[in-house]
Amino acid sequence: MTLRSALTCLVLLASASALAAGRPRYGGELRVAHDGPPEVAEPALADTPLEATLLGLLSRPVCRITTDGAVHPSLARELSRPTPQSVRLTLPNAAAAGALARAWMRLASTEGASPYRALLYPVRGEGRQVSANGPLLELSLSFPWPDLERALCHPALAAPVASGPLGPFSAAGRGALEARLAWPQGRPYLDRLLLTGTDERGLSRLWSARQVQLVLGVSSETDTTAGAPFYATYLAFSPRRLPSDFRQAVESAIDREDLTRLFVHAPALPMPHLLPPMLMQQGPRPRPAPPATGPARKVTLLYDSSVEDQRAVAERIQVKLHERGYTVALEPLPRAALRARWAKGDFELMLHALLLPPVPGPALAVVLDAGGRRDLLGVELPAIGALADAAARDTRARERALALAPSVPLVPLYAQGLGLRVAPEAGGLRFDAQGLPMLDGLHLVPQEATATGGRP
Amino acid sequence: MSRAPLLALLAALAAGAAPQSFPTAPESASAVDRLAKSLAESVRALPAEAPVALHVSGGSAELRRAVGTVLAARLAAAGLAPVVVDAPTAEAAEGAARAQGARTLVRLTVDVEGGELRARGDALGTWVNFWSGRTATRPPKPAGTLAGAVEADAAVLALASAGAPSGPATNGSAPRGVRLLGAVLARLEHPLAALATGDLDGDGRDEVAALTERDVSVFAADGRLLARRELDMLPFASATTREPFGALAVLPGPPRLAAWSTRHAHGEVLALEAARATLRPLGPLDAAPLGAAERGAFVPGQTAFAPEVRMADGRAMTVPAPFTTASLIPPRLLFVHPDGSASLYPRAGAAPTRLHGLGAGSALGDVDGDGTPELLTTSPQLQPSPDVLRVYAATGDEPTAHEPLWQGALPAGRALYVVTADLDGDKRREVVVGLTKPDGTGELFLLRHGAP
Repeated sequence: MTLRSALTCLVLLASASALAAGRPRYGGELRVAHDGPPEVAEPALADTPLEATLLGLLSRPVCRITTDGAVHPSLARELSRPTPQSVRLTLPNAAAAGALARAWMRLASTEGASPYRALLYPVRGEGRQVSANGPLLELSLSFPWPDLERALCHPALAAPVASGPLGPFSAAGRGALEARLAWPQGRPYLDRLLLTGTDERGLSRLWSARQVQLVLGVSSETDTTAGAPFYATYLAFSPRRLPSDFRQAVESAIDREDLTRLFVHAPALPMPHLLPPMLMQQGPRPRPAPPATGPARKVTLLYDSSVEDQRAVAERIQVKLHERGYTVALEPLPRAALRARWAKGDFELMLHALLLPPVPGPALAVVLDAGGRRDLLGVELPAIGALADAAARDTRARERALALAPSVPLVPLYAQGLGLRVAPEAGGLRFDAQGLPMLDGLHLVPQEATATGGRP
Repeated sequence: MSRAPLLALLAALAAGAAPQSFPTAPESASAVDRLAKSLAESVRALPAEAPVALHVSGGSAELRRAVGTVLAARLAAAGLAPVVVDAPTAEAAEGAARAQGARTLVRLTVDVEGGELRARGDALGTWVNFWSGRTATRPPKPAGTLAGAVEADAAVLALASAGAPSGPATNGSAPRGVRLLGAVLARLEHPLAALATGDLDGDGRDEVAALTERDVSVFAADGRLLARRELDMLPFASATTREPFGALAVLPGPPRLAAWSTRHAHGEVLALEAARATLRPLGPLDAAPLGAAERGAFVPGQTAFAPEVRMADGRAMTVPAPFTTASLIPPRLLFVHPDGSASLYPRAGAAPTRLHGLGAGSALGDVDGDGTPELLTTSPQLQPSPDVLRVYAATGDEPTAHEPLWQGALPAGRALYVVTADLDGDKRREVVVGLTKPDGTGELFLLRHGAP
């Protein structure tokens, strides 16, 4: 079953004949289990699909993209273009506007540097000087970039949770999240979400015992649904510290199908190109022949200690590169430390995972920045943004991703989405184009409509 | 239906068929035009031999004549020398066509069904070989089947309903049969938040007002947009709803429109200036208009109204629970609650009858012209496929326990709004259904009485 069909089935199932005068009903609470961290606070670091989903309960970006590609306000009440070269965001209040401005400036700063800063690259000053005017944020563009609104919908561009109530729910203590009446897009249908953090076995146990109605982070291939896979993992390498045939060595040694089948959690797809398969549906490239054997080398591979899949993949790379004459030392790091090492260029090898926007142009910008080719942004983005037609821009970005791949020191590995299970009594589940479930749209289905389906 | 508007409509249709060339039917052409174009092309492609006799049956006499007239004009423009024959049956039409010297007979049955204007039939040669003697043999060609369907419009419904009886019930008590035919009245860029009808321009016939979260629009009976006002200048509400929701009512006295979307902190009272095609703001609105003079309040953040209602005479009334729909046809009052139950009051102050299985699209309205409002309701399911409109006699204790007077499927979408309107000045009210389409747009679907 494909991801898309799984989603379709779920939406149809969830909305089956519930007697509710034709409208979703308000009220009730939903018990949710997940295997993510107990707290997420910094949007640029909460970029696994699960963490971005949890973050989105408390802090949302200004907009969201629906699966049909349309941009809808989220935290912002309105997005508009007073002129083609400026975007105006109307936030609910001055505090929210100020929090966003600070978050974006920090993203571009030295201490908070993140590859997601590339999303703001077309903004004048590259997003380093954003100031709020009351509830308004005015963003002037350095060059035509019609995809700015779509880029601003990225979860990493939300404000930190500590900035205040900026999401559809607010924390009520002990894992409880209360619906916010003042959420600009309307309060969630549910009164409350009760979150339980656990591990993979705990998820299975809670689900089987019917102690939760929604499980986030499920990797089973059956009985689950999943968002589009935009969480892309690359092997980043330092061209200065590694021989010129290193890419060839990796490409010849790594089998992406093996990685997604045996080493990482589903749902996952092999990613042979710079952009994820959902953005670039081209067949796999043939594996090159191994390079001529050179002198043995010792290298260190950094990876995210909080992502279990990365440990398994790092160990696999360790084994496979050994066959190519590389002795790989593994060094797990917390994500913040990993990003700091990336920002300083202080690594030889690094597993670099990014939640890419579901739009080729902005996604390419993030990938180029993550690959240390920020110098290309000023060349590539204006040429893409100059195309008025969205489809033409997307095509151009895909073409450039193919053309630039050999010059970007990233080896694409795989892309993942968020798998979840939902009980039939919870209706209204939908994913946004980013592949994240919109939990504020969940509602309880009246009992008479939940007699079938979905539960063990 | 009064005859004057119908004659004007038929004249307009006939005028539309006048050009001598073979015009293309633009997307905005009437449904009759579009169907006639499609059929004329099919007849030409047979190929038919002139003169062509045309016999149209089914539907109302006015609809038959309209289709016959416009199709004949198109066939004439194609050089097929049409003649419209009148015969009691399709079989009898063959003899009539021969008697008039036609070489081809086109026999069509027209009907309005499922929101479409449909025509089905055949074409045959009427030339009789000399050697056949008195036996009316048929030639091998032309011969073929004809079928066409186009989306119906308000003009088609007006024609289709022209033959329906409009007088009072024969004995004044037994409800007449209800048979509704539907067609798209208008399309909206955004999903509906509220729907209302009333005579806003003082011409004795109702207009249809539609509220979305961004604007309010007024449509004429034929679906023409009379005026639209953007609501973006109103301040945002501190607690809006996830789905578009609001209240809309036509106020008496000088006719005005009271509109309030939950997206905004307050509503507006507007006056229709038909000559300038504008809705002129008269002032703010700080109570949700549930009816001409009844007022309520939104439940903050929810697609529901609070149970406390201020009635037209100023008295306060409390219904058993918050409600998502109110239809107030004094003395009867209907409140549909979010769980699909409803409270039907025979009069304000009386004990309500509790109903079950009603959709948010519910209304009271006299659709059969017997002087007593019927209960109309859509499906209570969240995603019915398709949604169904049911019409019940609202007499007795439990109207929905009895068989509906009529029920019919609606086009795709969620039918969350139903109102009735007097669009043509007769005693029976037409039905307007507000649909939220799967693509996120809105649609007004009009149902009129069809010819029996």
